[in-house]
Amino acid sequence: MTKKALMLATAMSLVAGAAMAQDKPKIGAALYGLNAEFMQLWAAAAEKHPAVQQGLVELTIFDGRYDALVQQEQFETMITQGYDAIIFAPIDADAGAAAVEAAHAAGIPVIGTNTMANTDKLTSYVGSDDVQSGYMEARYLLDQIGCTGNVVIIEGPIGQSAQIQRLEGNMKALAECPEVKVLEQQTANWSRAEGQTLMENWLTKHGDAIDGVIGQNDEMALGAIEAIKAAGKAPTDFAIVGIDGVTDALLAVKAGDMASILQDGAAQAHGSIDIAIKQVMPDYEPMSAIWEQYPDMPWNGGSDKMYMVPWTPVTAENVDALLATRQ
Amino acid sequence: MQKTTITPPQWSAGMFVQRYGIFLALLLLCLVLALISENFLTTRNILNVLRQTSINGILAIGMTFVILTRGIDLSVGSVAALAGVVAASLATTSSAGMVAGGPYPAVIAILAGLAAGMACGSVSGAIVARFGVPAFVVTLGMLSAARGMTLIYAAGRPIPNLTEEFRWIGTGSIWGIPVPIFLLLGTFAIAHFVLTQTRFGRHVYAVGGNPHAAKVSGLPLRKIRFSVYVISGALAGLAGMVLAARTGSGLPQAGIAYELDAIAAVVIGGTSLAGGVGRVTGTLIGALLIGVMNNGLDLLGVESYYQQVIKGILIVAAVMLDQSKNKQD
Repeated sequence: MTKKALMLATAMSLVAGAAMAQDKPKIGAALYGLNAEFMQLWAAAAEKHPAVQQGLVELTIFDGRYDALVQQEQFETMITQGYDAIIFAPIDADAGAAAVEAAHAAGIPVIGTNTMANTDKLTSYVGSDDVQSGYMEARYLLDQIGCTGNVVIIEGPIGQSAQIQRLEGNMKALAECPEVKVLEQQTANWSRAEGQTLMENWLTKHGDAIDGVIGQNDEMALGAIEAIKAAGKAPTDFAIVGIDGVTDALLAVKAGDMASILQDGAAQAHGSIDIAIKQVMPDYEPMSAIWEQYPDMPWNGGSDKMYMVPWTPVTAENVDALLATRQ
Repeated sequence: MQKTTITPPQWSAGMFVQRYGIFLALLLLCLVLALISENFLTTRNILNVLRQTSINGILAIGMTFVILTRGIDLSVGSVAALAGVVAASLATTSSAGMVAGGPYPAVIAILAGLAAGMACGSVSGAIVARFGVPAFVVTLGMLSAARGMTLIYAAGRPIPNLTEEFRWIGTGSIWGIPVPIFLLLGTFAIAHFVLTQTRFGRHVYAVGGNPHAAKVSGLPLRKIRFSVYVISGALAGLAGMVLAARTGSGLPQAGIAYELDAIAAVVIGGTSLAGGVGRVTGTLIGALLIGVMNNGLDLLGVESYYQQVIKGILIVAAVMLDQSKNKQD
């Protein structure tokens, strides 16, 4: 009897809770995974977009759980549910193409963000040039070690556009320093824990021979720093770089342990939402502040195919200001 | 003289719920979702749910065989990924990851994937059956080893650009119904037949229900135990290939933690982890319950973290129900 009553009560509360009919445009953000800070920052910024806050549109964030099949199924749900626009950060560039094409066939515009899908059916893409950041971080590190010595590269998930393009940038810079040797190159899937394990093993194998650590993102570089500390060495004995500018990395930069490049996930989120809304409401004027913040990236009526948010190298001068924005 | 009266058990609502509980829960859930979300009962969404359930459903049906014998197979996710990349390497048009002379006809790729799954299942089954090592441990090892082999075989990268012919098993449809649904129903029909109408099926129940009695009656315990792991491996292989066909790439990172959903479906469906009790019908309903729940919560925009909590509660509730049922008998 209690079981039945419970089931009935749950059913009732579900019906009551969802009884509000919404006629606002629905935008879905299919993100590859929310375990690490960068995408969490993206999602948090998306929720704070003026149009979302004012209730102009309804935004739903989908966590892809780092699984291409989950993302595909989320697309199917959004198509069924009649979403008006989709913002997409795929875990895999090729598998993501299939999802985009399905949405396109259903007449739903897809705006890519942060990572690319291998398809020309994207309405637009708001991200940052990963080849450029890969080059910038590697170039900075090579300058630090004097264009000679041994480096290791910790990569993102193999097959995601960020990994492919940052590696391209890394290699471009490394080609400029032929005396530098790449001792190891492996993926840690954007994970701090995996990066730590990799670095521990490389320290065991190579000891003091490693001069520089190129982390394709901050989380993995931070993992490398933990491994270095655990081995009783000082991070300042190595040249370490990462990308993203997540909070812990900013603190590490302040402590002098590593260098980083800020990826403005908030700007990517706001930019893609503005473009998505423009697709649904042709008279819409962008409400986010980012278009003034980045005059080098003009709005152009929201109709460009590519919007590249500039990178901001994190230095001792700007790190405090950046940390203040994270409070 | 003593008179013994036998009174038939009284029918009660409690008994009804216990016997058909899972099915009722599924119906209730569908009803609630249909009321809340106008899109739930559309043809498109129903097909979505069935298609999304097919991979887990196929895995869970294989898992049912294993659990019926008091075993468990933790490796199905990794084996699915392995079969996926093996099949993908034979059915890809891109030079990265292609096997020399490819792409091969889809049939060849599918057979290769099934063979890979059965090979893993055979190894697990042999160690469990022959050496008596606990299935938990053996399949845990296989989980790791198969994942490693997958990464080695695919050199850590996805194998994209699969042929349309191969992708048909994931994206194609017959009479408007997606192929994976046919594969799920076909697997279910065969498994149901085997478990209820064949001698092998009865042996599977016997080995799990009372291994000592089974041994004493002369049943080939080792062969039966070995066979169920091969079945689980084969079905994991099938599921993995459907997965690869659906995503269009052989992804070495596919299938991570899929074994948990498969076990959940089996347990929710009423199969006892103690072995000997359960039906694939229950497993199918358990898989559908999970699939409908996932789909419904997605339609309602509930964050995936909450979905995981609800799934956990469902599993525990199902096992508690199962235990109370056993105590009453």
